[in-house]
Amino acid sequence: MRHGLRAGASALIIAMMAGAVPAWADFWSDAGAKLQGVTLHGVTESTPPSNYVKNVLAPQFTEKTGISVEIETTSWDQMYDKAIKDMEAGTGIYDMVYIEQDIIYAYLARNFLVDITKSLKDDPSIKSPDFDESNFTSFANYFKNADGDLFGLPMEAFIKVYLYRTDLFNDPEIQAAFKEKTGHDLKPATTHEEYTEIAEFFTEYGKEKGLDLWGTTAQAHTGHPASWYEFFESVAPTFGVYNWGINAADNYGATVEHGGQMNSDKAKAALKYWLHLRDIAPPESAASTWTEVASTFAAGRAAQGLVYGENAAWIATDPEQSRVVGNVGVALPPLEPGVLEDAESGKGYIGYYDGGAFGIPVTSKNKEAALLFLQYIGQDSVQGPWAVAGSRITNTATYDDPGVQELDKKLGGYFTMLRDDGKLFAGAPPYPFHAQVVQATNSTFYDILTGAIDPDAGLDKMAAQAEDELTNLGYRK
Amino acid sequence: MRSNKVGWWLLAPTLVILGIFGILPFIYVLYLSFHQWNPFGANPNQVFIGANNFRRLVFDAEFLTAIWVTLKFAFFAVFSEIVIGYLLAQLFMREFPGKGFFRTIHTLPLIVAPIVVGSIWRLMTTPSVGIIPYYAKSLFGMDINIGRDAGTAFFFTVVMDIWHWTPLVTLTLLAALLSLPKDPFEQAQIDGASRAQIFWHITLPMIRPAILATVFIRLMDALRTVDEVWMLTGGGPGAATRYIGLHIWKVVFPKTDYGYGAAISVIVLYLTLVMCWMLYVGLVAPRNKGNS
Amino acid sequence: MRPSNPWLNVLLWILLSFATLFPIYWLFVISVKPAVDLFTTPEIILRSLYWKNYVEVFNDPTLRRYMTNSLIISTGNALLCSVLAFMACYALSRFDLAGKENIFFWTITNRMAPAAVFLLPFFLLYTKVFAIGDFKLYDTRIGLILLYCTFNLPFAIWTLRPTIDGIPKELDEAATVDGCSTWQTIREVVWPLARPGMAVTFILIWVFAWNEFLLAATLTSFNARTITTGLSEYVTTTGTAWGKMAAISIFTLIPALIIFSMVQRSIVAGLTFGAVKE
Repeated sequence: MRHGLRAGASALIIAMMAGAVPAWADFWSDAGAKLQGVTLHGVTESTPPSNYVKNVLAPQFTEKTGISVEIETTSWDQMYDKAIKDMEAGTGIYDMVYIEQDIIYAYLARNFLVDITKSLKDDPSIKSPDFDESNFTSFANYFKNADGDLFGLPMEAFIKVYLYRTDLFNDPEIQAAFKEKTGHDLKPATTHEEYTEIAEFFTEYGKEKGLDLWGTTAQAHTGHPASWYEFFESVAPTFGVYNWGINAADNYGATVEHGGQMNSDKAKAALKYWLHLRDIAPPESAASTWTEVASTFAAGRAAQGLVYGENAAWIATDPEQSRVVGNVGVALPPLEPGVLEDAESGKGYIGYYDGGAFGIPVTSKNKEAALLFLQYIGQDSVQGPWAVAGSRITNTATYDDPGVQELDKKLGGYFTMLRDDGKLFAGAPPYPFHAQVVQATNSTFYDILTGAIDPDAGLDKMAAQAEDELTNLGYRK
Repeated sequence: MRSNKVGWWLLAPTLVILGIFGILPFIYVLYLSFHQWNPFGANPNQVFIGANNFRRLVFDAEFLTAIWVTLKFAFFAVFSEIVIGYLLAQLFMREFPGKGFFRTIHTLPLIVAPIVVGSIWRLMTTPSVGIIPYYAKSLFGMDINIGRDAGTAFFFTVVMDIWHWTPLVTLTLLAALLSLPKDPFEQAQIDGASRAQIFWHITLPMIRPAILATVFIRLMDALRTVDEVWMLTGGGPGAATRYIGLHIWKVVFPKTDYGYGAAISVIVLYLTLVMCWMLYVGLVAPRNKGNS
Repeated sequence: MRPSNPWLNVLLWILLSFATLFPIYWLFVISVKPAVDLFTTPEIILRSLYWKNYVEVFNDPTLRRYMTNSLIISTGNALLCSVLAFMACYALSRFDLAGKENIFFWTITNRMAPAAVFLLPFFLLYTKVFAIGDFKLYDTRIGLILLYCTFNLPFAIWTLRPTIDGIPKELDEAATVDGCSTWQTIREVVWPLARPGMAVTFILIWVFAWNEFLLAATLTSFNARTITTGLSEYVTTTGTAWGKMAAISIFTLIPALIIFSMVQRSIVAGLTFGAVKE
């Protein structure tokens, strides 16, 4: 009797499940049924998160909906150039484009992108029950317009963190030597003076012991914008110089006379601090972009450094790529007094929040299919393995994923920091002229690095050049 | 005597293809160069501004520096390549075992993609950990830092170019040397001429068209170099290796200043044209007129 | 030619080959080392080989596709340009065409401008102008084969002309007197003597097409991608995958070498013909 009851109950449960499952599978296959034969074209870079989309998520989507997806991966320059050409010329080649966090403002200013929020509201038949914009972390705010409508589906997000070598910092001999030399205890720096002290100590230490060890990394390439970025995105804000020192509210002034801060005393102090670090960093720093900084740290050549989050992950966990697996700690960058309060109140920020999203050009010929795809990859359910594969988190629920929490331990708490302190970091300032101003000023920055111009004079010149370019482009009247 | 019609028919496909793919785009670029156009400027449309782009160029210090370093680079690189390439081609004229094998090896640098050439040399010259600086320091005490020293960076761009492109010169000159008739040489040897005399008075005049064709090609390509140098130095330190190709790249790609970039391209094209025309008229044309 | 000890030459060439091959050897070294080892003390003699890069490359069907595309495009373009250039050079050399020196000079001007700005007009041409219905020249192999003629054809003409000019016109006239048509003259008399020059031209154009990056990257998207653009994908904002790039490059040397050795025999053949000339 009980058997029969149990069997009956099981049958009932199975029937209910069978009834429930099609309700879920129905949305994707239903929505896809109307769009059979469509092929979506996307363009992005060949980074681990994008490759995951291309190799795992896209095929899954195709299976569920029958819409095929072709993702073109290409170099960074090319990706932008082709997307821009396509949207500018209206040729409708791409249905999805990668939008880095610093170019979203330019795209929005040109109305290049489809309003995702509005499109889903206008056509509920293509809105998936599993997709909800409130699932995203604060990073999504960078891709919203003034009305709060979403224009880009967050795809990857990282913070540039302060990495340090836990094995060196916890070594009793080193701790004793440090205490003897400086009178302080050895721990991750919270101020710039502390950071410099630790860096100088380790460079000395490395020299004395004949080790290939220096006290800090420095992204100081003399011909690549990476150096400019490290200064303006990561170092200057920690001294209180935000948004590159350009004052959008005051006719885009960059010089102090015109209301800007690019050549302010704080900026000059920041530059001197950073140049000093460059001097005690490993010799390859003069040719180091973000790649080399990561490799330098991974090779064990630096005791501390500011490293982009996406690199921090493999440095801490991949024995084939890194010599310092398991010896990596993360911390908030060192700050001047007042900066943390500015960040907490929203007036400023303490470092760089990097990342990107996928958007749909208005010139796309397959907008509905593209919307389906973006919703698919924006679901909470696919985020877990994606986060582990690419060390990126864009949905708040992902922090609780067991795989992610496992990885977090190995990364010294990077994801925890992202969750708790991510709001203190900021992406690039909302400038549609981002790339233009960088290019207009970075030649002088390289001159500062090579010593062709004195740092203070160099900053003065850069501020003037920024203003010139802004005038040229028509933003500054 | 065959009519010229046959000649025109033989030439026609070339003219058609080059007309479509050469003339049309050029007209478009010329058109752009008279406009201000930056898709991310406050005004994203094309605005006619006459010759303002060109006026701006004359005062643009970065542009002038780029032209200057490019000319320096092209001079050193091309000159070295021609000399080395000629000597190697002469060596290939001799008989020795395994010649075909060595010839194949010698052409290997040509088939490596420019991005990869740049990458190889970049990794070989990374300060402190690259193999060249490392052994230079430990064996000779020299401190080679390509990120810090402009001269070193320039030197390596030239060396890299020589490594990559000399085989082209060797092959072209070899083909020319192979097609020379043997009589004048045998005659000269019978007459007791010295090696130098044979070179100056017989070999050189006969392969002059080939040498000049090669100088042209290498000069043009050296002036347009981008990928390799981009990977190696990114244009640094400062602007020491920011050759005009790289400069245009930076103006067109991240800066999206299409109008200005078009103007720069037009000027560079004009300069290259003038240089090559002078070479051509002065040295090649009289010879060809003599032939026909 | 002066007589000289052949073995001395071999020795000299072995030394020269070191200079040529060392960076290629280094390319191999990069491909068999994990990335982190590239930033530590370098070792010339490899102690351990890390094959993961090659395994990944080998198993990647996309790369095979890129390689095939590159082969087709390079070989196609080289053949097309060689044939057209031969015809054009023959015309310029043997006929008295109006303004031919100016035409000759004009062809090479197509090669003079830096490519970056020309991407936009080419892009527009390929997506809007040369488009019939749904078919565009954009992202097609034939599109690239035609486009590369813009600079490869002038190069071929300039490299080939000295060779064709160097073939004495008397031979042509002798053949015509003997009753040969233009076509027969070309085939029996001119072509054999031009072979070494043609071989060299073919190789060099093949190389240019093979190495070309910028146009291929802009005008292909998914289907017609070449191996050079495939390589550039490894240069990303998070880092450059030196090892993978190197592994792919080593692979790409192989088909190139095969084509080279096939064509080089023509250069050798030219030697014997040269000796037969009076």
